[in-house]
Amino acid sequence: MTTHPIFPSRRNFLGQAGLSLGSAAFSSLANASAADALPHFAAKAKRVIFLCMAGGPSHLETYDYKPKLDQLNGKPMPTSFTDGQPIAQLQGKELKVQGHLTKFKQHGKSGQFISDYLPHTAKIADDIAVVRSMVTEQINHDPAHTFMNTGTAVSGRPSMGSWVTYGLGSETEDLPGFVVLTSVGGRNPQPIASRQWAAGFLPSRFQGVEFNSSGDPVHYVRNPKGVSSKQQAALIDAIQKLDRKRNAQVANPEIDTRLAAYEMAFKMQTSVPDLMDISNEPKHVLESYGAEPGDGSYASNCLLARRLAERGVRFIQLYHRGWDHHGDLAKYMDICCGLTDQPTAALISDLKERGMLEDTLVVWGGEFGRTPMFQGKGGPGRDHHIKGFSMWMAGGGIKGGTSYGETDELGYHAVNDVVHVRDLHATMLHQLGIHSNRFSFPFQGLDMRLTGVEKARVIRGILA
Amino acid sequence: MIRSIPVKTFPRHSFFFGIFAILLLSLESKGADSKLDFTQDIRPILSDKCFFCHGPDEHERGADLRLDNAKDAFADLGGYAAIVAGKPLESELILRILDEDDPMPPEKSHKTLKSEEVELLTRWIVEGAEYSEPWAYVQPKKNSIPKVGDQKWPVNWIDRFVLSRLESESLQPSLDADPVTLIRRLHFDLTGLPPTPEEADAFVDGKTDFDTVVDDLLASPHFGERMAMYWLDLVRYADTVGYHGDQDHNISPYRDYVIRSFNENMPFDQFTIEQIAGDLLPNSGKWQKVASGYNRLLQTSHEGGIQKKEYNAIYAADRVRNVSAVWMGATVGCAQCHDHKYDPYTIKDHYAMAAFFADIHDDGYSGNTLPANRQPEMLFLTDEQEAELAKIEAEIEPLFDKATQKSLEKLDVEKAKLVASSKVGKGNKKAIQNKISEVDRRIASIAPAEERQAWAQLHSKRKAIQKEGRLTMITAAKPPREMRVLPRGNWQDNTGDIVNADVPGFLGSIPVDSRTPTRLDLAEWLTNGETGVGEMTARVFANRFWYLFFGTGISRSLDDFGGQGVPPENPELLDNLAVHFYESGWDVKAMVRFLVTSRAYRQSSITPPELKERDPHNQLVARQSRYRLPAEAIRDNALAVSGLLVDQQGGTSAKPYQPIGYFRHLNFPVRTYKAHKNQDQWRRGVYVHWQRMFLHPMMKAMDAPSREECTAQRPRSNTPNAALVLLNDPTFLEAARVFAIRVLAEGGDSIDSRLNFAFREALSRLPDPEERTVMTSLLKATRADYENNPNSAASLLENGMAPTPMEVDPIDLASWTAITRALLNLNETVTRN
Repeated sequence: MTTHPIFPSRRNFLGQAGLSLGSAAFSSLANASAADALPHFAAKAKRVIFLCMAGGPSHLETYDYKPKLDQLNGKPMPTSFTDGQPIAQLQGKELKVQGHLTKFKQHGKSGQFISDYLPHTAKIADDIAVVRSMVTEQINHDPAHTFMNTGTAVSGRPSMGSWVTYGLGSETEDLPGFVVLTSVGGRNPQPIASRQWAAGFLPSRFQGVEFNSSGDPVHYVRNPKGVSSKQQAALIDAIQKLDRKRNAQVANPEIDTRLAAYEMAFKMQTSVPDLMDISNEPKHVLESYGAEPGDGSYASNCLLARRLAERGVRFIQLYHRGWDHHGDLAKYMDICCGLTDQPTAALISDLKERGMLEDTLVVWGGEFGRTPMFQGKGGPGRDHHIKGFSMWMAGGGIKGGTSYGETDELGYHAVNDVVHVRDLHATMLHQLGIHSNRFSFPFQGLDMRLTGVEKARVIRGILA
Repeated sequence: MIRSIPVKTFPRHSFFFGIFAILLLSLESKGADSKLDFTQDIRPILSDKCFFCHGPDEHERGADLRLDNAKDAFADLGGYAAIVAGKPLESELILRILDEDDPMPPEKSHKTLKSEEVELLTRWIVEGAEYSEPWAYVQPKKNSIPKVGDQKWPVNWIDRFVLSRLESESLQPSLDADPVTLIRRLHFDLTGLPPTPEEADAFVDGKTDFDTVVDDLLASPHFGERMAMYWLDLVRYADTVGYHGDQDHNISPYRDYVIRSFNENMPFDQFTIEQIAGDLLPNSGKWQKVASGYNRLLQTSHEGGIQKKEYNAIYAADRVRNVSAVWMGATVGCAQCHDHKYDPYTIKDHYAMAAFFADIHDDGYSGNTLPANRQPEMLFLTDEQEAELAKIEAEIEPLFDKATQKSLEKLDVEKAKLVASSKVGKGNKKAIQNKISEVDRRIASIAPAEERQAWAQLHSKRKAIQKEGRLTMITAAKPPREMRVLPRGNWQDNTGDIVNADVPGFLGSIPVDSRTPTRLDLAEWLTNGETGVGEMTARVFANRFWYLFFGTGISRSLDDFGGQGVPPENPELLDNLAVHFYESGWDVKAMVRFLVTSRAYRQSSITPPELKERDPHNQLVARQSRYRLPAEAIRDNALAVSGLLVDQQGGTSAKPYQPIGYFRHLNFPVRTYKAHKNQDQWRRGVYVHWQRMFLHPMMKAMDAPSREECTAQRPRSNTPNAALVLLNDPTFLEAARVFAIRVLAEGGDSIDSRLNFAFREALSRLPDPEERTVMTSLLKATRADYENNPNSAASLLENGMAPTPMEVDPIDLASWTAITRALLNLNETVTRN
């Protein structure tokens, strides 16, 4: 970690300030978990990297191979599949089967089916457990993201990153415990609301903090124009002195917390730009991800995810916002996979080489999948689909090379070992040592849980 | 006694005897005067630990047993009963709690009873197991004002309730706060703005008295803005739709209505009725229609491919959540999928409430236009614009009749088109010229030249005013949609019963004979004490007013007056305030005046550690509360102290500086944020553009909510992000710079006199020697830096668009900007004490 000439370390800062600040105030900002007695049992994973492919990547062009789909290509979609089912943009349209728009092969020792769009992921086939039987409840992007992140489509509930940080605290004092990074490329980018990383009814300090690849890496983290770091330090020092003096008169514990907040704010002014600067990474590492310093790409974000993980950030969420392929699916898959496939695989390999994969849970997937039916906005594409899609997990106690669950012969309904979003949440929490049913927060008279009121199931079949 | 216990449930655990012993001890140690209170002591335990399975929701109910009312709890279950009054060891409730093999609550519920809780339940049964109705569902009643020992302290009867409670706890109220704290508290509480140094001094020097200050502040137009800050959180007012594309929508006149209503002291029942049903009032006027925009404030989606039926269900549930949260302090939304777990709201109640709003058709929202397409809307003109328009109309009237005017407008358009096409050289030039002459001839034939000229002038003025008007969403009733109960909240399930609009069954009904109740009936039911729940609504708001002026509710649950809410610590006071508010004819200003002129309000907020430990949430009111100012007030304070604040009331939303690229995640369409480059830059926080998906980062860092749902109580965080805002946000930099310009211009020539000026402006007081020392050394160090780097002084002054006068020395100004930045960052500056 870079040290600052004025405040070389926290201890020194406080020493210099002539203050012995109780650790309680400081840790209430950075460190402490707010929930009692967590983890509930020994954790396999210490942190989560969630790779959100926003827009809903097609399971039928990534992980779910259905020979029957090609056979029926262009034929009417059998109504036995679609009658009474929710439907998005294809409402009132003729429903035709759309065959795979790419080829599938089996990869690795495990022989997982992975499409030709993902040659790099194919190489880590034995590290990932692919769940091919996901279902969700929301068919439009915004509520589907909210559902994936919070377990409900109702606004105002905490995101999973906030839950996890609330439960386990953070292992870093210089950075927020929950960090979000975004990138674009592919079809018209999905709008993403800051609700997706909000703390909801949990204390505000557990909300996700977005790091930006251009402008200030965190809002207002840079000194204002015309103010040097030395001046900023002197200013903060004066503020702290006057606040402490005031505190001697009014004995307000909030002032103690505030002193710590200013200290951490000052540290973030150096630690965040330091973190975001990947130019000091070795060339071979940059190349393995395909990252160029400062390009704001998904590749750079994957590399940043590793750097955040190394520094003890608990929950790291990446969004790539180009996956809504209603039309020209082949063209946009080329772009999206071109931007994400190599970095994703590089992240897994990099974590593995550093011995971090074993305690880092990596999750890949979108807010839903895409219809087996044709949609034609431009070239062939697919509409939103919630009754069966694919996601994968790796690291953090997950058994690599696992194929879990199945959709029906046309990739419409998940039929075997169906995994609901709440089961995904329960599994994620389980790997972190948290029993989802015992992990709650009182709100409006209810014991609210990430996994909601319905019974959530840990996906035992993918655990090592 | 022990022999009478059925063998099957006989506890085989020494814990049983332990409890028995505790019970005997506790009975011995406490006299009859400390009898347990069901609402305070017992119901919260039963509700939290037992009602999930043994409460109102019949689908979850275990063993066919209810514990939420006496009748069921005492019922004979075949030789035994859950509760036998006076006999804990014959009460199955206690026996099962103590049963080691099969204890209650069961392990799978992940709930456990603490031994104190078991002791309380046991004692309560010994004392006769008396039930009482849930406090929030009983009509508030006027209690007699308690007698107190100290006759000097109380100012009004609020103080007698407070003091009586304190005396019973052997506590004393705190001393009155010092006058500087008090005048700042009053100004922030009633207007959201700091006092000027003159206002502060006048109060401190005794030149103005407390009651006059209160009256003046209540009469200030800023009172409405301050109250609106809270109201807009409740009703989830925002400038954007909130889902997917988060497009702007037209609604700012509604915000102006709220501010205006508080300023005019509109009775709260009228305020309620106009919002829920302004469009249904006979001869509803402009403002009533604007008010009915309340029904349109919810989050809406304009995403392609939404299923109409699904979103009808989403919007219906949203409206039920909000109307019940705002006016009833109730979580009726929890009954969307099943009967409420803790309160007597059934799933049918939920959909019957939704049916009130079934006459609002959320149609035609498709397309990603900016602003969003959200009919019905109306063109809103301010009262001033309307007056001006009326004046113009009066001048126009004698010139031409309506028909002539219409013809003239048509001919004008025709001519303009011809002129335009002649300019671009389209078609035959001569033919066009002929046509133009023909139009001129027709114009001349219906209107003489002189009048026509006068009319043209007036007409263009009229059009200009109309162009200044703002569109705003309103409610326009249509035939109500069919409303069905949706089993498990599933919008695709058509098997549920059709329901009519109705209020929750256990709270009565609306007497409407055979017609279908409307939103107007609902609004009247909410506010009428004779035919509805008016006094209960008054209690919800009495509690929230208390929160606004004491920092915490009398019941801490501002949004849940249900079984799981925290019962009020001083229920008699809350009830009396509710009745008082109701009987005053819903007079909001009178209510606020009554609260802030109490002695309790004037107390110091300094909290000795023992008191903090004994009463962490300030429920006993042995002190005032202290807390960070709300987000808007933090902004307003910096702007006011610097002198930048523009106090224009109402109008379109203001866009302050915002980090570049902050809206990059918005799409449909892609958005570029344009900060205002005019006076709008420095308007109050209540007018700041409220982008639901990406609320301004300053607002967010200071805990302002996204306003997707009702917020009755904001969190009060204290984070590094908030520190970064105060340190580095250009708004605060600019405010500091402009404040420093004033310090140099108005603060005299010495460092001391300038510090005096700056402290008085920012903190309403003078600096003490230690503060002078710290600030002086900061000033000198900063000055030395800038003298070495004059360029950085110049670039500091580039923050913000407010001009710096030519004559100001950049190094001087940059150095003093460090002082004003420090002042704007102080805890004292951003805290309501």
